[in-house]
Amino acid sequence: MVTTTAGKTARSAEPALIRRRLLDARMMTAVTAYVFAIYSYIQPSGYSSIYKTTAERLAFANSFGNSKGLRLLYGLPYDVATVPGYAAWRVGGVLAIGAAIYGLLVGVRLTRGEEDSGRLELVLAAPVGRASVGVATLAALGTGAVVLWVAELAGLAAGGVSVGGAAYLALATATVVPVCAAVGALAGQLAPSRGLALQLGGGTVAVLFLLRALADTVGGLGWLRWLTPLGWAELLRPFAGAQPAVLLVPIAATALLLALAGRIAAGRDIGAGLLRERDRSEPRLRLLGSPFGLALRNQRGALIAWTGTLAAFSYLLGTISKSVSPADVTKSVQREIAKLGTGSITTPTGYLSFLFSLLGVFVCVFVCTQIGAARQEEASQRLETVLAAPAGRRRWLAGRIALALLAAGALALACGVPAWAGARTGGVHLGLGRSLEAGANMLPITALFLGIAALAYAAAPRWSGPISYGVLALSYLWELVGALTGAPRWLLDVTPFAHIGLVPNEPFRVIAALIMVAIAVVAGAVALELFRRRDLVGE
Amino acid sequence: MAAIQTWELSKRYGDTLALDRLELTVEQGEVYGYLGPNGAGKTTTIRLLLGLHRPTSGRAELFGIDAWADPVGAHRRLAYVAGEPYLWPSLTAGETLEFLARLRGPDGVDRAYRDELIHRFELEADKKVRALSKGNRQKVQLIAALETRADLLLLDEPTSGLDPLMEVAFRHTITEAKERGQTVLLSSHILSEVEALCDRIGILRTGRLIEQGTLTELRHLGTQTVEATFAGAAPALPPLPGVHVTGTAPNALRFEVQGEIEPLIEALAGHQVLTLHSREPSLEEIFLRHYGQEPDGHHDGGEDRSQR
Repeated sequence: MVTTTAGKTARSAEPALIRRRLLDARMMTAVTAYVFAIYSYIQPSGYSSIYKTTAERLAFANSFGNSKGLRLLYGLPYDVATVPGYAAWRVGGVLAIGAAIYGLLVGVRLTRGEEDSGRLELVLAAPVGRASVGVATLAALGTGAVVLWVAELAGLAAGGVSVGGAAYLALATATVVPVCAAVGALAGQLAPSRGLALQLGGGTVAVLFLLRALADTVGGLGWLRWLTPLGWAELLRPFAGAQPAVLLVPIAATALLLALAGRIAAGRDIGAGLLRERDRSEPRLRLLGSPFGLALRNQRGALIAWTGTLAAFSYLLGTISKSVSPADVTKSVQREIAKLGTGSITTPTGYLSFLFSLLGVFVCVFVCTQIGAARQEEASQRLETVLAAPAGRRRWLAGRIALALLAAGALALACGVPAWAGARTGGVHLGLGRSLEAGANMLPITALFLGIAALAYAAAPRWSGPISYGVLALSYLWELVGALTGAPRWLLDVTPFAHIGLVPNEPFRVIAALIMVAIAVVAGAVALELFRRRDLVGE
Repeated sequence: MAAIQTWELSKRYGDTLALDRLELTVEQGEVYGYLGPNGAGKTTTIRLLLGLHRPTSGRAELFGIDAWADPVGAHRRLAYVAGEPYLWPSLTAGETLEFLARLRGPDGVDRAYRDELIHRFELEADKKVRALSKGNRQKVQLIAALETRADLLLLDEPTSGLDPLMEVAFRHTITEAKERGQTVLLSSHILSEVEALCDRIGILRTGRLIEQGTLTELRHLGTQTVEATFAGAAPALPPLPGVHVTGTAPNALRFEVQGEIEPLIEALAGHQVLTLHSREPSLEEIFLRHYGQEPDGHHDGGEDRSQR
């Protein structure tokens, strides 16, 4: 049995392996930790400066904390009338989702990602056992969870939450990391490629989120919370009668998933997964006529997955929009809520408007992934073969941009129709036209971020990923939390998200949209020209 | 009009000079062997010829078309085989050929010839690229380039990963291409292949073309080895210019002759020579001699850097 070779691994090998794994994950961990720290600092400090008196906080708690729509996003509030209780709700809920995504990405990257690249074969060709590789991966995942725990703890403590309470709340968030990393590691054993592992793991995490969302919003389904790590983080009840015994659940789940992954890893062929892909197929000649066609062919799976997920989300969000009600909310509290960057979300349509803007962020992420795929084509040097044929460079990049834009349009529609259907099911009157308009309203800002991503890709190909995702993340975070910092209006207006009209609640802002599109067109044109003039750049 | 012509073509990556004022001319119909150790700048040259990288200075023309200014125009007349077979893992070999063919327009390739090549190289066209070995991926690239019957073939180590049988098939195919009048730039490490196929050879070293000519011309520059055995003890010969003498046995001498051989023959004439064996330098010896030399200026090789 292969596992027995672990004892023969050279003594110096494991530290070297662990070091390598930590370095592999360092960028993702550092960025996530940074976001965690900032976010968990701004929320409690902003809350305590805006809602100074207990009366204000109670008013807020009644109006805001009981909204089902917000529960879906942020999770179940236990006590939002105190700073720590508010932090537990606003910080814990959102960061648990962040922790789940981080865990999944790192879990897949350190297992199937390494294997897919062929590097694992090189490592295992040295006198190193498979078990040692597993240990190194575990060490890196554990370190990542601890780093995120420290980041959140530090942010909360700096924001005025007691250290003990902050440590427990941060721990609740951090428990999500190992569970989802184990999901990623297991997906990495099943799938024979990194892309498929991410799809499997991503699907699983989406279901885990859905379970938590249902548990928090639909009466009588609270027990579903026990089925998902995002629910366990809530059941730990930070600042609301802590239940530390619940910790055993994520520990047991992680151990179980990892044991299963380890068992599969010890016995299978390196480079293959438990699921087999066919090695041969009949020729399918559709979409082979141009680089655009091939890109569409290769991205089809991703496009279907994105469309399906966003459509399901929009439908679900639509159905629960009815539970949002402006009753008992004073004008002043509504104004304060607006300051939280979420617009006037105390009415069903206001809530839907906010959700459309959130879906818009996802569509922006999607176009960034499309430019990322174009970059991957270049980094893997396949683009050299394409461009050595009589195929122009500008035309190639223009094709990729056009594909991203068309797909974004399809996604926008895929949000509008099911959101309308969901709202109708839930009993909220929203016209289909209005709903589609709300979907289309996302397109100018999507075009803007597509332009920025294309420009980053043309100007600094190796940094295009960090730049495009970074600008997008900072812009949206600033929109969410900027007002809490008391920054002046002009500084708040820096983010393009401040300039979208929240359709259907607000009118479509034509001028802002035109400006965004104009910037996008200029950025795209400059990108095409820069790309024509630069060297192709490999890994 | 030459198939390839460069004027002081140079490329710098950061502070590394990967290609230093290359003056290269490859006439139409010629098979040109492009030799050089790893990192000498062979791949850099090809990327500049393809307009994938921009020259730091100088320029290159293919059939009179500027490689950087009008890459698409130039590419209509050439086909390329990359040093590494990076292809799309989810496509089958056949789908890959079809995609690369369609990039050239409706009548870009000779489909009958493709089928012949698939047969000749024993390619399993229904197999996914993901499941192909490196050598088999290389075959996909080769067939994709050869089926175009392009006027110019830019081949960057095209036989890496091929087995000896496929190597034979490759040589056969290039000989056919030559007979049809196609021009070939063959960058290679396999000296027997270059020796067998190429009309002219250029040797690149740390970004500079240090030697160029037909094989005969290069041999002339190299050292000829003459071994002589004598009836009695080996004689003491007077020092001869360009001749290096070593004793290999009491009655035998070996001469390494640079340049004209006549003075040596004259010097040996007065002695009782039993056997005289003369051997021309192989391409390998010429090549190794150039590798072993100290560079006559400071230049850093840059091919590795260009793999970024």
